[in-house]
Amino acid sequence: MNAIEAKTPKPVMGLYDKPMWESINAGAMRLQRCRACSKWQYPPGPACPQCLSCDLEWTPVSGRARILSWVVFHRQYLPAYPAPYNSIAVRLEEGPTMITNLEGAMPDAGSIGKDVRLVYVTMPDGVVLPRFSLAE
Amino acid sequence: MNHVQPDYARKHASPRNKRAAAVVGVGHSDWVGDWARCRNGERPNDSYGYAIDAFRNALKDADISRDEVDGLIAGPTTAYERLGELTGINPRWGGQADAVLAVSQAVMAIEAGYAEVIALVYGNDQRSVGTQYGGPEAMGGGAFLSYVYHSPWGLTSQGALYALTLQSFKHARGFTEAEMGEVAVAQRGWSSMNPNAIMRKRITVEDYMASNYVCEPLHLYDYCLINDGGVALIIAEAGRAKRMTEKPVFIESVGRFDLNRGATSLEPRIDDFYLPAQQAAAAQSYELSGLGPKDMDILQVYDSFSVHVPLALEGYGYCGVGEAGKFLREQGVGPGGKLPVNTGGGHLSETYMQGWAHQIECVRQLRGECGERQVADARHVHYTSDVAGKCFSIIYGK
Ligand SMILES: [Zn+2]
Repeated sequence: MNAIEAKTPKPVMGLYDKPMWESINAGAMRLQRCRACSKWQYPPGPACPQCLSCDLEWTPVSGRARILSWVVFHRQYLPAYPAPYNSIAVRLEEGPTMITNLEGAMPDAGSIGKDVRLVYVTMPDGVVLPRFSLAE
Repeated sequence: MNHVQPDYARKHASPRNKRAAAVVGVGHSDWVGDWARCRNGERPNDSYGYAIDAFRNALKDADISRDEVDGLIAGPTTAYERLGELTGINPRWGGQADAVLAVSQAVMAIEAGYAEVIALVYGNDQRSVGTQYGGPEAMGGGAFLSYVYHSPWGLTSQGALYALTLQSFKHARGFTEAEMGEVAVAQRGWSSMNPNAIMRKRITVEDYMASNYVCEPLHLYDYCLINDGGVALIIAEAGRAKRMTEKPVFIESVGRFDLNRGATSLEPRIDDFYLPAQQAAAAQSYELSGLGPKDMDILQVYDSFSVHVPLALEGYGYCGVGEAGKFLREQGVGPGGKLPVNTGGGHLSETYMQGWAHQIECVRQLRGECGERQVADARHVHYTSDVAGKCFSIIYGK
C-alpha cells in the first residue's frame, strides 16, 4: 500500500481523550493537571490517580521531555509505518510518560537520557501527531 | 515511579494456603503433530478441541473419572460455560482465568472448601486462526489499554512493549545483547532434549547475534512461538491428593503483587522492570513456604519474550540487582548450568501455551518424568510470571 494513502492508526477516543486531541490539533497540547494535588496525568482520565479528585484542569505542557527508551521496528505492521521506523518513550517535564516517535533522526545507543522537544507532525492523511525531536 | 515495601508483603503473608492443594494429574495436546499440520495449512482443531484433548490426558494421568471433578477453571480463550458443557462437568465451583490466576484461584477455592478436585483446562487455536498480537486489532486491547493506546505512533505489538523494556534495562544495568542471547541459547539446549518441543535445533550466541531484529533490540530468537494446543491440570485438596496418587505435587505457596500505576505508559516495565512487585511476591511465597532461592532446583519463567528471564533472576532474588547479565554468562541457566531455567524450552522453543505448559513442566520435573532433560533430584520448582504487571511467585514441591 502507498504510504500517502495509508491511514494513521486511529487513537483511542474515550470521553476524556477528546480534549487532548483537540489541543494537539491546535498545536498546543494540554494534559489534565489535578487542582487538588498538582499531579499531571497521561493518558487522560476521569480522576486523579494520586488523590482521586475529579477537579482536573486542562493545562498546556512545556514540550520539554527526556528519552527513557526506544525501539526500531524492522518489520511493517501498519500501512502508515513502513519499516524501519522508531518509537520512543519520553518522560515529560511535567512527570507523565508518553510513547511517541523521534522525529528527524533514528535513535541510537546514546539516545537514552537525551533532551527532546515536542513537535507537531502532520501525517500524509492529515492526522496531527505529537512527536519529539532532539533539543538543540 | 512505583514504590512497594517488601515488608508489606511479609507482614501480610497468610500461612493458610501453604500446601493446601496438590497437582494430581497433567495432560497436553499433541503440540508437535498439530504444529506440523498447521504448517501444512490444516486446521487440526479449535480451542475447545485442544482443551478437551488435554483434559482427557490429564484425567488419564490422574487415573480418575470425570465425575470426581467438582470444580472447573477455563483458560482465557474458551468460554467457561461452553467448556463446561463440552467437558460434561456440572461443578459446585468454577471460573475463568489465565494460567497463574487459575492455579492461585484453585488453591483459594480448595482452601476455602468450595471444591475438592478442580480441573484447570486451556485450549488455544491462535496459530490456525491467526490471532493478532500486534496491529490495531491486537488481542487483549479491551482489557489492557497499553496494547492499543500507542497505535497512532506505530507501537502496538507485544514485542514492542518488551523491546522498550529491554532497551531501558540494558541502559540501567549495563546488560548486553550477547547476555540476552544466553536465554534463547539455553532454552534451545533444554528443548533439544524434549520430544514435546516444537523448536529443537540447538543455537549459539553467535547465531543469536547474527539473527535479524524484529523490533530492535529484540531478535527473532527472543520471541515466543505462536502455535495451537491445549494443557490441563487436575488440582486436589492436599489430603485427598495423597489418597489419589503416590506422586502428588504440592503447591507450597503462592505470592502475588501487582503494579498498576502508570501501566498504560509502561512505567512499571521501563522504570521499575517490575522489580518492587517481584520482590513483594517473592517475599510472600518465601515467607509462607520457609523456602528461598537457594532451595529451588529449577526456575520456570513466563517467557513470552526472553527479557522476562533476567528480570525474574533479579526480582526473585537469584542474583543481585544489576547482576543478571553476569549470572547468565557465568552461572548459566541451560543444561549443565547452575540454575536450570525453563527446562522444557519455554515459550521460546517448546510451546506457547501462555504459562500453562510451564505448570505441567514443574509437575513432571518433580515426579522425575522428564527423560533426557530431567534435573536430578528436583525437590522444589519455582514458577514466576509478570504478565501486564501481575507478579506471581508459585512454589511447587514434593
Ligand atoms: Zn490529585
